[in-house]
Amino acid sequence: MNNKKIRVLIAKPGLDGHERGARIIAYGLRDAGFEVIYTGLRQSPEQIVSAALQEDVDVIGLSILSGAHLSLTKKVVDQLKSNDAEDILLVVGGVVPEQDVASLKEMGVAGVFTAGTSVSQVAQFISEQVNA
Amino acid sequence: MYKGARVETIVSISWETLLDGVKKGNVRSLARIITLVENREPGWKDAMKSLYPLGGKAKIVGITGSPGAGKSTLTNAVARDFVARGYTVGIIAVDPSSPFSGGALLGDRLRMRDVVTLPEIFIRSMATRGALGGLCQGARDIARILDAFGKDVVIIETVGVGQDEVEVVKAADLVMVVCVPGQGDGIQALKAGIMEIADLYVVNKADREGADEVVADIGGMLDISDNGGRPQPPVIKTSALANQGITELVDALVQGFESGRNADSWQAQRVKEEILTLVETEILDYLRENWERTGDLDKAVEGILEKQTDPYSVVDSLLPLIREASRSKETT
Amino acid sequence: MKDKQNNCDCRENLDRIAREEKTWQENLVDKRVQRFNLEKSPTSFYTPNATQNFDFLEKVGFPGQYPFTAGNTPFDFAKANEKLAAQMNFRPDWGGTRGVGKYGGFGTAADYRDYLKRMHSMGRFGGPNMAFDLVTQCGYDSDSPMGEGEVGRVGVAVDSFRDFCVIYEPYTGDLEIDKVPSNFTINAPCAIIIAMYAELARSRGIAPAVLRGTPQNDILKEFIARGTYIYPAGPSLRLFRDTLEFMRKHMPLLNVNSIGGYHIREAGATRSQDLAFSLANAAAYIREGVNAGLDPNDFLTKFTFNAFGGSMEIYKEIAFHRASRRMYARMLKEEFGVTNPKAMTIRQPITAHIGCSSTTLQRTLNNWARAMVGGVAAGMTGSLPGVFPPWDEPLGLGHSQEAVQMQLDATRILMHETGLTDVCDPWAGSYFMESLTDELEADALAEMEKIQGMGGAVAAIENGYMPKAVAKSAYEKQKRIESQEDLVVGVNCYTGEHEIDVTINREVEATYDPALMASCEERQKATLQELKRSRDGKTALSLLSTLRTHARDESKNLMPDICECVKNDCTLQEVCDVFREVFGEAQPVKL
Repeated sequence: MNNKKIRVLIAKPGLDGHERGARIIAYGLRDAGFEVIYTGLRQSPEQIVSAALQEDVDVIGLSILSGAHLSLTKKVVDQLKSNDAEDILLVVGGVVPEQDVASLKEMGVAGVFTAGTSVSQVAQFISEQVNA
Repeated sequence: MYKGARVETIVSISWETLLDGVKKGNVRSLARIITLVENREPGWKDAMKSLYPLGGKAKIVGITGSPGAGKSTLTNAVARDFVARGYTVGIIAVDPSSPFSGGALLGDRLRMRDVVTLPEIFIRSMATRGALGGLCQGARDIARILDAFGKDVVIIETVGVGQDEVEVVKAADLVMVVCVPGQGDGIQALKAGIMEIADLYVVNKADREGADEVVADIGGMLDISDNGGRPQPPVIKTSALANQGITELVDALVQGFESGRNADSWQAQRVKEEILTLVETEILDYLRENWERTGDLDKAVEGILEKQTDPYSVVDSLLPLIREASRSKETT
Repeated sequence: MKDKQNNCDCRENLDRIAREEKTWQENLVDKRVQRFNLEKSPTSFYTPNATQNFDFLEKVGFPGQYPFTAGNTPFDFAKANEKLAAQMNFRPDWGGTRGVGKYGGFGTAADYRDYLKRMHSMGRFGGPNMAFDLVTQCGYDSDSPMGEGEVGRVGVAVDSFRDFCVIYEPYTGDLEIDKVPSNFTINAPCAIIIAMYAELARSRGIAPAVLRGTPQNDILKEFIARGTYIYPAGPSLRLFRDTLEFMRKHMPLLNVNSIGGYHIREAGATRSQDLAFSLANAAAYIREGVNAGLDPNDFLTKFTFNAFGGSMEIYKEIAFHRASRRMYARMLKEEFGVTNPKAMTIRQPITAHIGCSSTTLQRTLNNWARAMVGGVAAGMTGSLPGVFPPWDEPLGLGHSQEAVQMQLDATRILMHETGLTDVCDPWAGSYFMESLTDELEADALAEMEKIQGMGGAVAAIENGYMPKAVAKSAYEKQKRIESQEDLVVGVNCYTGEHEIDVTINREVEATYDPALMASCEERQKATLQELKRSRDGKTALSLLSTLRTHARDESKNLMPDICECVKNDCTLQEVCDVFREVFGEAQPVKL
């Protein structure tokens, strides 16, 4: 009997301590039937990717509100590449100005979710991407 | 360019490649095998068959206790100490699945900050998934895979509530029960099934008021309990956050590895239970699949609700399927 | 019934009203409900029966008098100078020599110093109102791998006393630090910054006793919201105690703290959680001072609050501020025996507002209308009718000149054209508002009791109760928005194709040079390296070792040691690392 669940890692890289969005997403994705691994604050890119590999997640969600989204996401992408884990879907949420969305997508981020995004939109996006 | 292409990878990587990866110490292969076995993907049993002979060396420690007892923090401290002594450690952190959505919020990792990046440590969060296929079996499978991977010690940390944890720790060689001061009712709860399986008691947060009372309470309960002639389990005081008492605790665990419940009769009992669990799951899965396909189950439910029959008669009428199931097993 | 109450409140009259209400409900309301095919009436109406036994003096009192429900003062500084402000074209965002300048900070200490100089050359004075970068806020130096990419980003990087002195270089003469105040938005390493401020004064031959300003120094809310904690809550509170003792003794004009209810609500707390958690935190700080033998009648005159959180629900926000003032005053009187009226008020820069979390990215300009509602609520709760925040807040790009102008003008319109603030507590005695205030107070008191039952704020942080409660409330709110139970214009309703996204020009003043931002990490690291090379390393090491010994002794006040450390070029992280070693680090909360 197949018992597959989509597994998602939610992490806050850097030192930004605003957890509201990350926590809402964690709760929301759980209620959408996902298994959510919540790693909390101040995660280094190494920690995030190492956790993602051990937990064999389908998706990594980064929440960044400090404005450091470009450099922090870049580091996570680099870590994923050097670990040969480019198949893991990467999404970013937080305060991301319009012009940076394109830069993030260019790095390989599949989805960028800013203020006003509903959890159901995020859940749907992930389901579609993972099951595509 | 970075590209999310998960599905292709799953399909393209075969069991053989993954098993080979595990044998070579590849962490991703290990993680993926765990997923596939946990999901009961086709071929999982064959994978377990080929992993089984590789294991048998790891010592499996079960950690249980009420929520808020500091189990994750303790796991962190214990794992760190094991690594310092030259052991490699696998950690299985169990959290409950939501009964409504089937999803889960797995947050134990976040309390294991000191060890998350150590190369000697592999941490896997596991949801109870409605105990499909037996929660104990799920944890046992993962522990076995970690064992085959070469981990010296596997720690299973339970949810900390209800019958589930009693189930999970059955997969362990040594069971450690964590208590804290200020949770009087927590000790009461221990009486329900945990006392029989505990090999070691830990009073965590022992820097708090009332720690000695908890030690005394446990001692009192042990005095009056019947533990089948085994030696009295030790009670150890720790403060995981301040890293106090951890050396003593790990000493006790190591000693337990040597002297623990290795009696043949107990091992045999455990193997027997595992076989029965696996068989039970297989049969139930088979039956459910069949009943759902044929619609017999729905029809039976309808019949009972309309008072045309009763659950007992339904069971008897459905039983032939079991015989069919056993026949089909023989042929595959 | 007391005889002071007139016949409007007497029993028979209330009974008569109740009978009339019943008739009205049946004859008018229920029929209308039926006619419109509703389940129940979408409105409510309050009669004197909603506030039975209402004792005006006990519940409201006079503005500036216990229990301060009607306001901290009959009128404040801004109201007294309202006309003058118009005559002198006053712009609060530019700061005056009396107050602090605009909140900000970026780059290296030298970058921020040059920025402040530039502001001064433009006539924008006012003391430094410092935002620190996250590296500093979390107790790391700029060369820590933890801070990579974050140096100088959301504030200025301060690794050492030398950095601190560099920032203050433009503050001499008319702007000497005995003349202008400073604000420091920092919590976990706050003791170090306070020590630097004192040492700065001493190095200039100025007595720390004349320094003014406000350090945020509210570590407890960091565990509930915002997240820049370092040590566990218990030892963090001990460091607070040390700063409190030190400031009362050596820097008596400096405010002690700025207790934040704002962050707690922004993190998702409900109104009653916000109120209860903030006051529980306040109680923990006060208890710490009292246990240290200090007189709350004295030190509470220097406690401030960083506003409570806000929302769009205007009545409830007004009730919130009335309840908060009353609850705080009562708590101080009944629990701590405070008698000094000056020590019993919630001193805060603004009262009601909508909170940044009420603003929307969608059709951003609408936030101007939203913030205006907050300004009206503020004007009705005893403060400047401050319209907050600027409408482009959720864009995350810095406030534009246009948005700030519109914010200022909105406030001015409310101030000068409406007469909004000509009456103190215009809602006093309203059947509806008084019962709403009572209700909120009761909810918050129940929540506070729960926390007290756990052993107070520190215990309710350590067992995860407060942070988890806030996270759950945030999620509940999100679910209400997604199910359209709560409506947000332009977000989950009125999003059709015929709606227009109105935009206007936005010019963000080039406050922070992007080129400087890009290079600041390297430059700040070089400065730090130079410091470590040129300082007397032996002295620094021995001072840190003394600090370590004293930190282990809970009865010791660590401020004199911290002062010695910073004066002798120990870095911020070196001091924090000593505390990390002795106190341990705070555990994150499991959801």
